[in-house]
Amino acid sequence: MSTIPPYLHPGDTIGIVCPAGYMPREKAQTCIDTLQSWGYHVRTGPTLGSDSENYFSGTDDERLADLQQLLDDPSINAILCGRGGYGIGRIIDRIDFSMFKKAPKWIIGFSDITLLHTHVLTHYDIATLHAPMAGAFNDGGAATIYIQSLKTALTGTPAKYECAPHPFNRPGTATGALAGGNLSLLAHGVGTSSDLDTKGKILFMEDIGEYLYNIDRMLYQLRRSGKLDRLAGLVIGAFSDLKDTQRPFGASVEEIIREVIKEYDYPVCFHFPIGHDKENLALKTGVEHRLVVDAGQVRLEEC
Amino acid sequence: MNRKNFLSSILTAGAVIPHLGASASNTPTRHTSTGSYPGHIDPAHPGHHDPALPSGQLPLLVPAYLRPGDTIGITCPAGFITSKEIKPSVELIESWGFKIKVGDTVDKKDFTFGGTDAERLADFQKMLDDPEVKAILCARGGYGAVHIVDRLDFSGLNQHPKWVIGFSDITVLLCHLHNNLNIASIHSKMCNSFPDDWTKAEPVQVECILSIRQALSGEKMQYNVPPHEKNRTGTAEGPLVGGNLKTIETLAGTHSDIDTTGKILFVEDTGEYLYSIDRMFWNLQRTGKLSGLHGLIIGGFKVKPDDPGDEYGRTLYDIVQERIKPYDYPVCFEFPVGHQKNNVALKYGIPHILTVQQAQVQLIEK
Repeated sequence: MSTIPPYLHPGDTIGIVCPAGYMPREKAQTCIDTLQSWGYHVRTGPTLGSDSENYFSGTDDERLADLQQLLDDPSINAILCGRGGYGIGRIIDRIDFSMFKKAPKWIIGFSDITLLHTHVLTHYDIATLHAPMAGAFNDGGAATIYIQSLKTALTGTPAKYECAPHPFNRPGTATGALAGGNLSLLAHGVGTSSDLDTKGKILFMEDIGEYLYNIDRMLYQLRRSGKLDRLAGLVIGAFSDLKDTQRPFGASVEEIIREVIKEYDYPVCFHFPIGHDKENLALKTGVEHRLVVDAGQVRLEEC
Repeated sequence: MNRKNFLSSILTAGAVIPHLGASASNTPTRHTSTGSYPGHIDPAHPGHHDPALPSGQLPLLVPAYLRPGDTIGITCPAGFITSKEIKPSVELIESWGFKIKVGDTVDKKDFTFGGTDAERLADFQKMLDDPEVKAILCARGGYGAVHIVDRLDFSGLNQHPKWVIGFSDITVLLCHLHNNLNIASIHSKMCNSFPDDWTKAEPVQVECILSIRQALSGEKMQYNVPPHEKNRTGTAEGPLVGGNLKTIETLAGTHSDIDTTGKILFVEDTGEYLYSIDRMFWNLQRTGKLSGLHGLIIGGFKVKPDDPGDEYGRTLYDIVQERIKPYDYPVCFEFPVGHQKNNVALKYGIPHILTVQQAQVQLIEK
């Protein structure tokens, strides 16, 4: 059973950091306003709207220092990553989790932040939040059930999600801790110290902008490294903006996944609302959930 | 340096100079004195490698070099190709005095694949099991070797070793063979890179294609490459391993993953964003593949341009230099290996000496 960081109360403080790609401050303004309207204080680190002129929100040292400061500061109750992109892998081995381990707090994000989730789960067995980040609050996002799911997750309301059935779903009931995230980052973490032990867990995954053959290759890596054979269940989110080679791969992403897991018998659901589209429900990694997949519907709820 | 002159010097880089005094061995050899580079069973990740078969504890197995009259089998373990497309390679290899057996997968097509998994598996297995076939030339890369590698039975190679030849997606097979059997193979161009008209081929193409013949015939390989201002000088000795960087990353944690300790690693890739290349070099570091190296060879990298607004701000050289900073082994750039015309045959798993000097770079088979 993972350690669950304290849920938030009005008056608590959420720190916003950009540990990976660059984000202009104005892109986080709606998020800041919304978090404040929920009753939280917001503190932003120097990596949000920094003067960086390249891809990153700051140098490795700057991003590390900003994240480290939020991890160590006892007055920060949760850390919301402004955006993903790429960059966690460059600093993860230098992050000092000793204070965080003593006083866990919610780490929120997805995409590149997946590496942080799997690293924290593997090393410290502390729950994290795979959820929308600052940019998702813009353009009316703050009013959606997806941003609302982050709100309710932070206050400790147990998650209870439903989604429509998919013809490829494999029925069954599974109980286990949630783990997962972006497929590219899950594959990238294999064989490193941020690698995920998926045994007995409900694994979820999503991805964006990948070639179909590469999705297939990454799933083969997961299978060949023993990540897929002892799952309790599998939740497949959105695979958006997929690309294909000039000579077509010849299978949809759903068909690719179905083929890779055909020798196992755990429940599987497709098109669960997580991913890089607006539909991105907050999921607590490390927390026990029950997945029920039947002909009529799919339910994922905290035990 | 004048860029134009620089490019023209690169074009003739990698001239392969056969060592004329070398005696080719026409019988397979298990080398028992290959040193004691350790196996790579990571206690943090048990179960990912078969502890019975770490490459480091197996003596190097070098298949018999080929003689005129020997047979080379052509098969498609990954992408599809037509018999028309392989014709130039068949004709040229036959002109070298070798016989060709064309596998059943040539002309087979299952979307991007050279036949279904079952068909590609059966064809490759047939080549492995056929005692007449002394070398297996993969017709092309693409994608698909990982679909069949776990179902191939390589055990016959212990008694009757043979060369497996290819690169790109075939990196899967070369890594797998190295890790599980410590059998030497050849990283080189494949059938789809043979020029349609040999008489009109560019010198660099001719050199690279002929280097396959030299490697197969048992000539000691020697490559002289122009220096690069970003090179790090030094001398290294060790078995040559590597291949396509993305493919190496996606083998991490599997039993096809290579142990690079004490070895000379070469990497190349094509069509990747700089951020992705950076992430892959971090992957090499975080999976322990950079710290124990004896030498590093950076081949061709065809970089996918950054999307507007997402400029990465680092070059390939910056990326590599950042990652190798903690170590002191020699490193060379722009080595003629990769998805490019200048892609010389390399004997995978065989000990080499890499000498990186201000004036020149040399890779010599030991």
